[in-house]
Amino acid sequence: MAKIVLRRVTKSFGSKVAVDDLNLEVEDGEFVIVVGPSGCGKTTTLRMIAGFETPTKGTVHIGDTLMNHVPPKDRNLAMVFQNYALFPHMSVARNLSFGLRIRHESKKDIDSQVREIAEMLGITALLDSRPSQLSGGERQRVALGRALLRKPQAFLLDEPLSNLDAALRSQMRFELKRIHSQFPVTTVYVTHDQVEAMTMADRIVLLNHGELQQVAPPELLYAEPLNVFVAGFIGSPKINLTAGHIDRSGDGSALRCLDTKVAVPTEIAERLRSAQGDVVTIGIRPEDVQPCSPLDGQVGRAVVSGRVELIEPLGAETHVAVRVGDEIVTCRTPPRSGLEVGSTINLSFDIEQASIFDGTSGLRLC
Amino acid sequence: MSADQVVATGPEIAAPAVVVPRQRSLARPLLNVLMVIIGIAFLLPMLWLILASLNPQADDTLSVPHAFSILNYHLAIRAGAGAAIKNSLYLAGVSTIIATAVSTMAGFMLARRRIRFKGAFLVLVLFLTGLPVTLLLIPTYQIFVNLSWLNSKFYTSVVLASMSVPFAIWLMKNFIGQVPGEFEEAAAIEGASELHILFRIVIPLVIPGILVSAILTFINSWGAFLIPLVLDANPSDTPGAVGIYQFMSANGQVQFGQLAAYSVLFSVPVIILYLISSRWLSGGFSFAGGVKG
Repeated sequence: MAKIVLRRVTKSFGSKVAVDDLNLEVEDGEFVIVVGPSGCGKTTTLRMIAGFETPTKGTVHIGDTLMNHVPPKDRNLAMVFQNYALFPHMSVARNLSFGLRIRHESKKDIDSQVREIAEMLGITALLDSRPSQLSGGERQRVALGRALLRKPQAFLLDEPLSNLDAALRSQMRFELKRIHSQFPVTTVYVTHDQVEAMTMADRIVLLNHGELQQVAPPELLYAEPLNVFVAGFIGSPKINLTAGHIDRSGDGSALRCLDTKVAVPTEIAERLRSAQGDVVTIGIRPEDVQPCSPLDGQVGRAVVSGRVELIEPLGAETHVAVRVGDEIVTCRTPPRSGLEVGSTINLSFDIEQASIFDGTSGLRLC
Repeated sequence: MSADQVVATGPEIAAPAVVVPRQRSLARPLLNVLMVIIGIAFLLPMLWLILASLNPQADDTLSVPHAFSILNYHLAIRAGAGAAIKNSLYLAGVSTIIATAVSTMAGFMLARRRIRFKGAFLVLVLFLTGLPVTLLLIPTYQIFVNLSWLNSKFYTSVVLASMSVPFAIWLMKNFIGQVPGEFEEAAAIEGASELHILFRIVIPLVIPGILVSAILTFINSWGAFLIPLVLDANPSDTPGAVGIYQFMSANGQVQFGQLAAYSVLFSVPVIILYLISSRWLSGGFSFAGGVKG
């Protein structure tokens, strides 16, 4: 097992900067997930750790060893590829044992290790099959088995579940976490799927356009996003983002948003003083917006009125999109809410549960 | 409901105003006639060859023998067809092994590795594929004289290989380029060296490509005339293509039957090669199951 440290790592392809000045430390045994939209640099980061790309600037350490110019074969890593990368001309058994044969381990040891891992992953019956005869889930298990047999100092996984159907993905997420608890090897996992990130990671590394946005455990990333991008990327349904204006008139601060004015508690008012200008972005999670009856204004609680535009029943809950002025606010309601499209509805939210970002920089104020 | 009842089942669809008769194109029949003529032009000489080889009284006209006989084959073998074919097999075989080995390794590096001036090098290789052998024959002969390499089947094979290497490199570079790079990355991360990757991963996956390259090299070298004629004057080293030439002039008068039999015998190894390898070539490149899609 080993710690992975990236210090000021930059990777450029000609004039295009894929990864920009990235600092990242993955602790021994930690399961870190690198997530972000397509083209954000997550796969490039993984490939630099693996040794398939050399950083333009900065250093990559695995353990205490500088790895910048160490070839992939000497890094003692294992990788699971998005497209499986199983050797089509070899049987499952030979795919699993490829690394062991390269390292000239004894036939007896190879056979017993292959059988053990096949049994653990439920692929014993497939050992004589070729990859072309396997389903997507089976191929992914074989790829995982090959990586486990490497006994690496770190695992790298490049969107390993992206080619599986939803049910299988859910099952494999559970499998991967179980395997990680059994083999607590340092793991760097790349995905564009935030559900995978939220459910599996010890910490999430969120990238956008090659720049690090935030590194935090899933709950913290969700509850306290550092900027507008993080708030908008993490969470399904997406956070409600609305422009607000700080109203400094009167004896305290208030916020104007969604055609209403809400008085803010003193603590929030003090933090709003550090905003560059009076414009802010307010982020409210759909579960923090509730249908309500009209209430008198309370400090910190806003009530808005709107028209139901879309109702998405999901079984265990319903997502309701409400037009408030020119904006759409999404809220989560229990399954049988009795709402209808076109009906008028009042929504309330607590400003203390909202995330408020500077309107210019996008950075979190409170 | 009777057949003459009108049933309204939906909106009325307007009938087309004019029915345009389908025009017959002359292009396809003309093309077929052209293909037949070309086919005949190719097949007639082959037909003559086979019929003449089985006709003790063969001449330069196409005719069915009164009595089929394999006498011409006996006479052709006695005249040296067997030895000539053995020499051709040596020359073509050795040159194929050399060219295939060189072009596979060069193709791998050109397809997979970042090499300085790779583009310029590839253009140079492409240029070399079009270079006529006659341009190089005199300087090659001079080099052979200086190195005392004349009259050697092995060194003649090396020259034959070098004639095929440029085209073979292009072929192998393109074939290897089709192998998904992830296979090599997966092998590398498992600890495989470059040689491991080449021999255990890439080569097994491009065997159809290697066969194509090898067959083309073999055929090129099999039919080589000028290079063996100039570089190896040893009568016992005479290959088939040179042997046919000598056979024609040695007898003064052309014995068409024996010439045809000699030609058929000389063609047999290449035909067998095609038949054996077509089984592998029809499989094409299959990376099924290795990568998604």
